[in-house]
Amino acid sequence: MSTAIRSRSAPWVTTAKYVALFALLVFFLLPVYALLVTALKDPSEVSVTRMWELPGSLSFASFTAVWPKLQDGFVNSVMLAVPASVLSAVLGAMNGFVLSKWRFPGADFVFPLILFGMFSPYQAILIPMVQVMSDAGLRGGLDGLILVHVIYGLPITTLIFRSYFAGISDEIIEAAKVDGAGMLRTFFFVALPVAPPAFAVAMIWQFTSAWNDFLFGAVLTNRDYWPITIALNNIAGGQTVPFNEAMASALLACLPTVAVYVILGRFFMRGLMAGALKG
Amino acid sequence: MRKLRRWGPGLLLIAPSLIALGVFVYGFIGWNIRVSFTSWRGLAPKYDFVGFDNYTALARDERFSLDIKHVVVFTIAFVVGSLVLGFVMAMLLERGIRAESVFRTVFLLPMAISFIATAIIWRWLLDNGGGRTAGLNKLFADVGLGFLRSDWHKTDSSFAIAAIALPAGWALSGYVMALFLAGLRGVPDELREAARVDGANEPRVFWHVVRPMLLPVVMSAVVILAHISLKTFDLLYAIDGKNLNIDVPALYMWFTTFDGGFYARGATIATLLLLGVAVVIVPYIWYSVRSERR
Amino acid sequence: MTDVIRTPPSGIRLEGVRKRFPGGVDAVRGVDLDVSPGEFMVLVGPSGCGKSTLLRMIAGLEETSGGRIMLGDKDVTTELPQQRDVAMVFQSYALYPRMTVRKNLGFGLRMRGAGSAERERRVVEVAEVLGLSHLLDRRPAALSGGQRQRVAMGRAIVREPKVFLMDEPLSNLDAKLRVSMRAQLSLLHKRLGVTTVYVTHDQIEAMTLGQRVAVLRDGSLQQCDTPQNLFHRPVNLFVAAFIGSPSMNFVRATVSDGFVHFAGVSVPLPASASGSSGSSLAGASGAVSSVAASGSAVGSASGAASGSAVGSASVAASVAGPVILGIRPTALSVPSAGGPGVRLTVVPDLVEDLGDERYVIFELDAERVDTDATRAAVDATTADDALLVPDAERARFTARLPADAPVAVGEPLDLTVDPDRLHLFDPATGNALR
Repeated sequence: MSTAIRSRSAPWVTTAKYVALFALLVFFLLPVYALLVTALKDPSEVSVTRMWELPGSLSFASFTAVWPKLQDGFVNSVMLAVPASVLSAVLGAMNGFVLSKWRFPGADFVFPLILFGMFSPYQAILIPMVQVMSDAGLRGGLDGLILVHVIYGLPITTLIFRSYFAGISDEIIEAAKVDGAGMLRTFFFVALPVAPPAFAVAMIWQFTSAWNDFLFGAVLTNRDYWPITIALNNIAGGQTVPFNEAMASALLACLPTVAVYVILGRFFMRGLMAGALKG
Repeated sequence: MRKLRRWGPGLLLIAPSLIALGVFVYGFIGWNIRVSFTSWRGLAPKYDFVGFDNYTALARDERFSLDIKHVVVFTIAFVVGSLVLGFVMAMLLERGIRAESVFRTVFLLPMAISFIATAIIWRWLLDNGGGRTAGLNKLFADVGLGFLRSDWHKTDSSFAIAAIALPAGWALSGYVMALFLAGLRGVPDELREAARVDGANEPRVFWHVVRPMLLPVVMSAVVILAHISLKTFDLLYAIDGKNLNIDVPALYMWFTTFDGGFYARGATIATLLLLGVAVVIVPYIWYSVRSERR
Repeated sequence: MTDVIRTPPSGIRLEGVRKRFPGGVDAVRGVDLDVSPGEFMVLVGPSGCGKSTLLRMIAGLEETSGGRIMLGDKDVTTELPQQRDVAMVFQSYALYPRMTVRKNLGFGLRMRGAGSAERERRVVEVAEVLGLSHLLDRRPAALSGGQRQRVAMGRAIVREPKVFLMDEPLSNLDAKLRVSMRAQLSLLHKRLGVTTVYVTHDQIEAMTLGQRVAVLRDGSLQQCDTPQNLFHRPVNLFVAAFIGSPSMNFVRATVSDGFVHFAGVSVPLPASASGSSGSSLAGASGAVSSVAASGSAVGSASGAASGSAVGSASVAASVAGPVILGIRPTALSVPSAGGPGVRLTVVPDLVEDLGDERYVIFELDAERVDTDATRAAVDATTADDALLVPDAERARFTARLPADAPVAVGEPLDLTVDPDRLHLFDPATGNALR
């Protein structure tokens, strides 16, 4: 914050601000409250009409009931999200480097084409994708799913690294050239060492995206390999599902991404501030 | 071509990604369009050619017309709501409140969770099944705001889908807030200081100096939100997928293809969805690449 | 060869080097330049004149659109920067941010395959020469501006290249530091003896550092000569206006009968054109011989002047008609009582007191000279760019007088003009006539 003199707001304005912020806090935390409260209730206390009441006694019964059904999905999602985020970050780094610092003729034309891949609705490629994956024998297990997540994650990771590397001064790259480094060595010795913040952004984003995906998981995996979102929907999707189990399973399914966000969030922010994802 | 030595390695490094995207994005889009010109029904692919029959059939399809209306309603409610909410949150946090990072963390939290989980939580919040008072309605009644009671997305009105803008806005306003915060903080201090020295008070500084510079942010936010809204599937599917009152093209495509086996029709809907998104996105991409060049 | 650099220096030859950027901009137009081994050559000119582009083409960072670049005996025109044996010091220093000073210094050697023992030896040696020994394990972020600059230089020296290229390395320093670094650069060059090409937009830097200076304008080489020759024998209006601070004064005049007439005054032109004033157009007909500091003779032709036809050698007597007259601020002086010389009576508008000298600014009763050349020399694009209050119609002169000169604002002052130090230029082409 600058030390410049700023007009201080009238006290009532400040109070109003805090009131508004508090109200917003309530709005955003309401669902979280409902979630926690319901998941921690003894099953006998659970009812849709009494959802706002605090639990009489803390009970983890819902979690123990639900975990066996979620377990496989959880493991599958981990085996999906981790490799997918690492791979697409690495590829994105290479692409981003080339597009910002080692351009080829047509690079500025190619980039929007890549970007469009990020925005296009997945419905428009769904049918062909299913066909190709089936024919290639990649449908049913996690391999195909990982492949698909890596490929469709390329536009966003490329964008992240391209924006980030654009912040490296051209002169440093030129100095490396004059010093005798070719493209690969410039990438390894000059670009990668400064790239950790961008890696944080790319991997956190991709991890979240892969973990939270539903559509691809639904069409590309068999029962044994269902990611957690599918498992979650099956447990909690019906209308007759016990309310507490639905909440408990939703909570468990969200934990990893929320944990990543809370713990690594500041690296994410730092990376964004440092220039990833500009524009 | 001596120049090849300079940029060749770069092209080589990026080539696999380009090829992969070329196939998986553009190749598949083309393929999908091809399917939309067939009469493929059932599990076995069929690549005949029926011209634009599928498209004309859709134009006359009642469900599809409803879908379009619903998705428009949803988009407007969602985009406007998120814009307003995100803007308000950014303005409240802009000056640097104590514990700003706590507020920011909470507001951005919903972005970390999947739409499925969001849907499951909000399904119960918006519950009003069987005439009982539950979920949010119960909360309203408890705190004396009973008049806010609503049937949400279960109403018979064709605007039922507007209720879903609530969970969607809950999930994404944080992102809009982040955009606005970046935009607000990107206004150079010197401009504001010049205005203050010229005699403007804070509201006027905002109106004359800051506001005009927010236009790019608003445009960015609108485009991104609109395209997300058109693509939204997970949220609607898990909240109340079979409810025809909140049916949208994305849902129709799913059900008609994977439940009904009408692959050709599904491909047609998908192509139209793509066109809808392209209309919004292509100018945006073109504009941002152009201004970056400047 | 010296103690620190053990490879012999190379010369550089540029033949007809051109650069056209996509979009049709001709950044460099047919430059011919010869840099002798071990010479310190400065490329100078206003922004956009192509000096940086030219430097980058020597480095290999820009492709040439035509012409040849020779490093020593080797034609390197098509070689990548990685293959040429040059080292470059960038304006922003361009130190690798995540590497220690030691790693920064050793990077070039590492890229060229030197073993770690040899790298360490060289790095330590150069660090000592530049006073960086205690900083070897720091990162660039923990260094001051001056220290970073030394690391940038050290990085170049460690490689023992054939040629040093420097792109405005002093521009980011503040004024006083810049002046002291200038001297140190010169001393370092004497010690190392490496061929150096140095780019700057500051003509003072050019004059003080360069053994020879190449003046560029709009991609063309105007004149390549020793600082003395550039100052006393500028080949055209642009060079005359660009070199020297305060700038040369210009006024429109006419020549007839061996006199030049301006502002109501007539000054006789010295009769002989040979002798001290030398040949009329310093670069037109071939070798300008100047002796580089290292003692070896240098012969080189400067390239074409602004593209227009070079006027023929003219003896003072044959010049007649309208001209542009240039008088350096130091060519005006307070006349000694009763001494010879044509008197000019002026009324000072402003006196700038600098301690041991004064700049006296006055107007003449003559039209202000405003041409492309004079504007380009001060980086102005339109007539009023260089003026804060754009209403001046008359020529404004600056005279540089000693501090004890009897000058007062508003009081008439007598000045004499040294007739040996008049410069005449053709109003149409800008070329020097005398």
